[in-house]
Amino acid sequence: MTDEQTNETLLEVDAISLSFGGVHALVDVSFDIRKGEVRSIIGPNGAGKSSMLNVINGFYHPQEGTITYQGQARKQMRPHDAAAGGIARTFQNIALFKGMSTLDNIMTGRNTHMSKSLFWQALRIGPAQREEIENREFVEHVIDFLEIQSIRKTPVGRLPYGLQKRVELGRALAAEPTLLLLDEPMAGMNLEEKEDMSRFILETNDEFGTTIALIEHDMGVVMDISDRVVVLDYGRKIAEGTPEEVRANQDVIDAYLGVSHD
Amino acid sequence: MFYRESGQLKSSYIADQAMFPIAQDRWFVIGVLAVAFLVAPFFINEYWANAILLPFLVYALAALGLNILTGYCGQVSLGTGAFMAVGAYASFKLVGFFPELNFLIVLALSGVVTAAVGMIFGLPSLRIKGFYLAVATLAAQFFLVWMFNKVGWFYDYNLTGMITVRPIDFFGIRITGPEATPAAKYLFTLTVVAVLALSAKNIVRGRIGREWMAIRDMDIAAELIGIRPLQAKLSAFAVSSFYVGVAGALYFAVYLGSVEPVEAFDINQSFYVLFIIIIGGLGSVLGAFLGAAFIVLVPILLKNIMVGGMGFDSGMAGHVEILLMGLLIIFFLIVEPHGLARLWQIAKEKLRLWPFPH
Amino acid sequence: MAFDIFLLEVIISGLMTGVMYALVALGFVLIFKASGIFNFAQGVMALFAALALYDFLAEDGWFFAVFGFTLPVWLAIPATGLIMVVLAWVIERTVLRFMVKQNEIILFMATIGLAFVLEGLGDILFGSDVKPLDIGIPQGASDWLLDNFNLYIEQLEIFAAGTAAVLVVVLAIFFQRTRIGRALRAVADDHQAALSVGVSLDKIWVIVWSVSGIVALVAGIMWGSKSGVQFSLSLIALKALPVLILGGFTSVPGAIVGGLIIGVGEKLAEVYIGPMVGGAIENWFAYMLALAFLLFRPQGLFGERIIERV
Repeated sequence: MTDEQTNETLLEVDAISLSFGGVHALVDVSFDIRKGEVRSIIGPNGAGKSSMLNVINGFYHPQEGTITYQGQARKQMRPHDAAAGGIARTFQNIALFKGMSTLDNIMTGRNTHMSKSLFWQALRIGPAQREEIENREFVEHVIDFLEIQSIRKTPVGRLPYGLQKRVELGRALAAEPTLLLLDEPMAGMNLEEKEDMSRFILETNDEFGTTIALIEHDMGVVMDISDRVVVLDYGRKIAEGTPEEVRANQDVIDAYLGVSHD
Repeated sequence: MFYRESGQLKSSYIADQAMFPIAQDRWFVIGVLAVAFLVAPFFINEYWANAILLPFLVYALAALGLNILTGYCGQVSLGTGAFMAVGAYASFKLVGFFPELNFLIVLALSGVVTAAVGMIFGLPSLRIKGFYLAVATLAAQFFLVWMFNKVGWFYDYNLTGMITVRPIDFFGIRITGPEATPAAKYLFTLTVVAVLALSAKNIVRGRIGREWMAIRDMDIAAELIGIRPLQAKLSAFAVSSFYVGVAGALYFAVYLGSVEPVEAFDINQSFYVLFIIIIGGLGSVLGAFLGAAFIVLVPILLKNIMVGGMGFDSGMAGHVEILLMGLLIIFFLIVEPHGLARLWQIAKEKLRLWPFPH
Repeated sequence: MAFDIFLLEVIISGLMTGVMYALVALGFVLIFKASGIFNFAQGVMALFAALALYDFLAEDGWFFAVFGFTLPVWLAIPATGLIMVVLAWVIERTVLRFMVKQNEIILFMATIGLAFVLEGLGDILFGSDVKPLDIGIPQGASDWLLDNFNLYIEQLEIFAAGTAAVLVVVLAIFFQRTRIGRALRAVADDHQAALSVGVSLDKIWVIVWSVSGIVALVAGIMWGSKSGVQFSLSLIALKALPVLILGGFTSVPGAIVGGLIIGVGEKLAEVYIGPMVGGAIENWFAYMLALAFLLFRPQGLFGERIIERV
C-alpha cells in the first residue's frame, strides 16, 4: 500500500510443480507479486506455502515451471543469485546463528554488500576497516528501526522467542532487500508482539518500498496488512485476489472450514 | 573494582569495533606481549625453549589453525598432523631449492602450499558433513604421511628417510639447528605466532569470520541469506591449513630440527591438536593459547609428580597420562564445552561485578 | 591357471578381512542407530575386551594372581561379556547421561576421550606388551581346501566369517522381533517421541552399548587370535570408518557389504597397485576409496536420502 506501488510485476511464478519422490508439494501454481505490494500466501497446514518460498529463493528446485524475477526468466533460482538479486527472507522456525551476537547476526545480512579480500580483513586497515564501519552504520539504522539497541551484543541464543523473530527480521532487512519473504513472522507471538511486528512490516513496506511476500496463519493480520492474497491447498492454488474477495470465496471457506472468519 | 567497563564510552564505531574494546583487556594483552618479547628472552635456556616455550607456541599456532576450521566454521578435521607435515616438507624442499630465500618467505610459501592441499581435501565438505567429513580428513592423514614416507623426492632420497633442517640465518642471526641460541629460536617463533594470531583475530571478527560462523551455526540458513557454502568452507580450509602449515614448518625447522614423518605427524598428532582446542575452547583465539599451555604443561607436571615424586617408572607414567588426558577431555566436554576460554570469560564477568555480586 | 588361483585367493582373503572390518563396523552402526553417537572408542573397546579375556585365561594375569586359577574358555568368554556390560553401564552413568543435549560433534569428541581412557586403563591394568590369544580356534591353512581346490585360506578367517554371519543374523532377529529391539528402533527414529511413549532412554543406552560391547568382544577375539592382542588392534576401528561411509552409518547390511568391498578392494590394490608405488597402500587406500565414493553418493550405499527443510 505504498505510494510507490505500481502495477509493475516484480516476480512471477508460472506453472510451478515441485515433488519429492512421489509426494507433490506444489502442483501447477502460478501467481505474481507486484512491485511495492504486500502479498500474502495463506492456506492450511501442509498446503505448500513454505515450499513456495523455498522455490522463490532457490532452496528447492521445481521440476516444472518458470520463475521470472525482475524481468529475467529462469527454470529455477540459486540461493546465492536470489540473495544477491535482493531477495531476503525469514524462516518459520527461527534460523538465527545461535553462537553469534545480535549485531553479528544482523551483520551477516550485509554479506552480499561486502567484498573486501581476506588479506585486507586480516590486517583490518584501509578499505576493509572502512567497509566494516560503513556496514556497521547501516546495521545500526536497522537496530534503531527495530528498537533492539539494548540487545546489540547479546548472544541470540539467550533472547526470548519474540526478540529472536525480530532479530531475524533485522538480518533480512540489513540486506536492503527488494523482495522480502516472511515465513510466519508472527507465529507463537502474543498480541502486543504481533502488533509490533505488523508495524515493522508495514513501515518497511512504506518507508523503503520493499515488496513483501508473507505467509501467515493469523487471518486478522493477513486481512489487515495485505494488498493481495493467494490461497494454496494441497499444493494447488485455489483462490487469489484482494482480502475481501478471498474472504468471500467458497473454496477458501471450505478449505478452512470456518477458520477464516476469526 | 579493577575490571570495569563502565565509564569507557565509545563515541565511534572504530572504537567500538576495536580488537580489545575494554581498556583492561587491551593492557593485559600488551603486558603479556611485552613480557614475552622483552623479558623472557633474557631468562630463556635450552630446557625452557625446547620443553615448554617452543612446543607451546607451535601447538598454539596449529590449534589456532584447527580452531578456524572446527571452532569457527564447524568442520571437524582429523588430518591436522598430515597438514603440519605438508608445511614441514614444503619448507624443507623450499630451503633446498632456494637456500638464500628469506625464511619468512619460506614460511609463508609453506603455508600457501599447505593451504592448497587443504583446499583439495576440503572439496568434499560441500557435499558431506559431520563425521563423514572427519573420515574424509582421515584420508588426508593417512595418504599424506604415507606419501612423505614412501616418495623419496620429498626427503631428498636420503637413506634414513628423515629430513633435517639446514642452518638458516634470519637477517644474520642463526635461527635453526643446534647452533641457534634458544632466545633466537624463541623470538623468531614468537614473532610469527603473534602476528598470525592477531591476524586471525581480525579475520574472525570480519565478514569472512561471520560467514564461517554462520555456516557452523546453521548452514542452510547461511546459504539462503547469500553466503556461498563452498566459498566459505574452502576459505576456512585454506586459512586453517595455512596456519597449520606454518606451524608444521616451525615445528620441523625451528623446534625439532629433524623429523621422521610416521612418528612426528601421525594421527596422534591430529588428536593432540584437537584436544588443545576442546580444552582451550572451540571458536576462540585465546582458547588455542590456553589449551596449548595446558596440554604442554600438564604432562610435564604429571611426569614430575609421578616419576619424580611417586617413583613410577616412565612407561607407567605414560599410561596414566593417556588415561588422565582422556578423562580431562570428557570432563571438559561435559562441564564446559567451551573450554578454558569460557572459564576465563566467566571469571572476567564475575570480576566486572565485583565486589557487588548482583 | 595359476594366476587365476592366485587372484581367487586374494579375493577370498580380502572377503575374510572384510568380514572382520564388518564386525567392528557393526558395533559402530548399533550405537549410531540407537543414540546418534559416533563411537570412536569402538576399536579400543575391542582391544579392552580382548585384554580382559586374555587376563581370565593366562597365568600372568590379575585373575590368576588373585584367585590362583584361570578360567576355562567357555567361562571366560561370558565373564568378559559381563565386564563389557558393566563397562557399558559405567559409561552411561558417568558420561552419556550428562551429554544428552549436546550436539553430535561434541559427543563424537567425547568418545575420542573415552578411547583414550580405555587405552590408558587397558595399559595400566594389563600392560602394553603383545599377548597371544588362543581360545582353540583352529589355526593355519584349511587342508581340505588346499587339497581339493588348491586354495590357501586360513581356517581362522573361515571361522571368523562364520561367526560374523551368525552374529548378523542374531542381531537382525534381535532388532526386528524382540520388544527391546523395537524400542531401540523407536529411539533411533526420534528420541523425543520414544521418550513420550515410555521408552526409557538410559536403559536403552546401556543395552545398546552392552550389545556393541559384546560385538567388540567378538571382534577382539577374532583379531586377537589372528595377530595377538596389542594396541594396533584399536586401529582396526579406524578401518571401520571407510566401511561405514560405504555402507551408510545406520545400515546393518550396509556395514557387511561395505566391509566386504573395502576388504577385497584393499587386498586387490595392495597386490596389484602396491608394488608400483612402493607398497603399504592399505594404510590409506580404504579411505581414498570411501572418499571417492562419497562424492557420488553422500548418503552411502543403503543410507536414505535426506530432504532438507527450513
